[in-house]
Amino acid sequence: MSVTDPTRYSGFAIALHWLTAVLIVANLLLGLSMVALPISPRKLQWYLWHKWVGITVFLVTCLRVAWRALRPPPPPVAMPRWQQRASAVSHGLLYVLLLAIPVSGWIYSSSTGVQVVYLGVLPLPDLVAKDRELATVLRSVHVALNATLFAVVCVHVAAALRHHFVARDAVLRRMLPLARSR
Amino acid sequence: MNAGGARHWILRAALVVAGALAVTSAFGQGVLVDKSEIRFVSKQMGVNVEGRFRKWTANVVFMPSDLAHSKADFDIELASIDLASAESESEVKGAVWFNTAKFPVAHFASSSVKSVGADKYEFTGTLAIKGATRNAVVPVTLRKDAAGNNVAEGTFTVKRLEYKIGEGEWADPSTVADDVAVRVRMVLAPAK
Repeated sequence: MSVTDPTRYSGFAIALHWLTAVLIVANLLLGLSMVALPISPRKLQWYLWHKWVGITVFLVTCLRVAWRALRPPPPPVAMPRWQQRASAVSHGLLYVLLLAIPVSGWIYSSSTGVQVVYLGVLPLPDLVAKDRELATVLRSVHVALNATLFAVVCVHVAAALRHHFVARDAVLRRMLPLARSR
Repeated sequence: MNAGGARHWILRAALVVAGALAVTSAFGQGVLVDKSEIRFVSKQMGVNVEGRFRKWTANVVFMPSDLAHSKADFDIELASIDLASAESESEVKGAVWFNTAKFPVAHFASSSVKSVGADKYEFTGTLAIKGATRNAVVPVTLRKDAAGNNVAEGTFTVKRLEYKIGEGEWADPSTVADDVAVRVRMVLAPAK
């Protein structure tokens, strides 16, 4: 295997893919836990962390999209045409959601009158003015987008496992950090 | 006069008083309540959190030519607070924050008004919240809006811990900062 192996994703793309996976799972669990907490300093802290992780996902996704343009992914593994279409659609949807969900959370936070300060040092502008009715809508939007992401990620994982264990092709292996292409 | 007539008279008197109070609170010395606001920004773990009070009454007499007879009195209904969520609103009405069941109203009463520059004034008075009364100085800038109303705006700092707003685990200023910036914007109809 060389660093320019054309049948594999680049090391950087692989690293960012798995970083995203860890961040979104962690943030989903953090988000679900924090809303269930009674009001307390811990709850405020968890909300801040949730927003930091979300903004990080947004930035990492921007980086991935840029990297994808610079270093196109390996050509598709041979598979039926419907699967290639489904793959293109679901990957496109994943990128859109990974960008839209943090932004929806950011707007939601603005609409509740709570500023977002990335990592506690970089204040982000308030995207909308404080507005209770808008906040109620944006909260539902944020939750619905996350439910959609959860569903698409489940399909994504199921498809990857099917490729690996049933079709026995290179789809998953080329995204694994230490695997070698054959 | 029979008993029914007396009751009728008392009822009428009560209605007149209630009517007078309603006019005072709605138009209190020309304050246009719908255009005016009392907002604040608190800092929670380094993050600005905005809020406002939905219900308050103001009695403002602001005569730049007669500051000795100018004054500003405010009664702020603390339970009318507008925060990030219904959950945080119900939290701050509780005993460790405003304790609105026991102390429903915050009161500011000016004792003197002085000029501190072109269109700049200082209202000095006392602010009472949650059973504590502290001196307060509110710097005010006066300007005219497009409709010819006088707009008096001022921002001043309330040190929440002086009033025990946020006790126990909430007394730590690194969680919620001691300084709360209160911004008052009063739109006053021109004198007739």
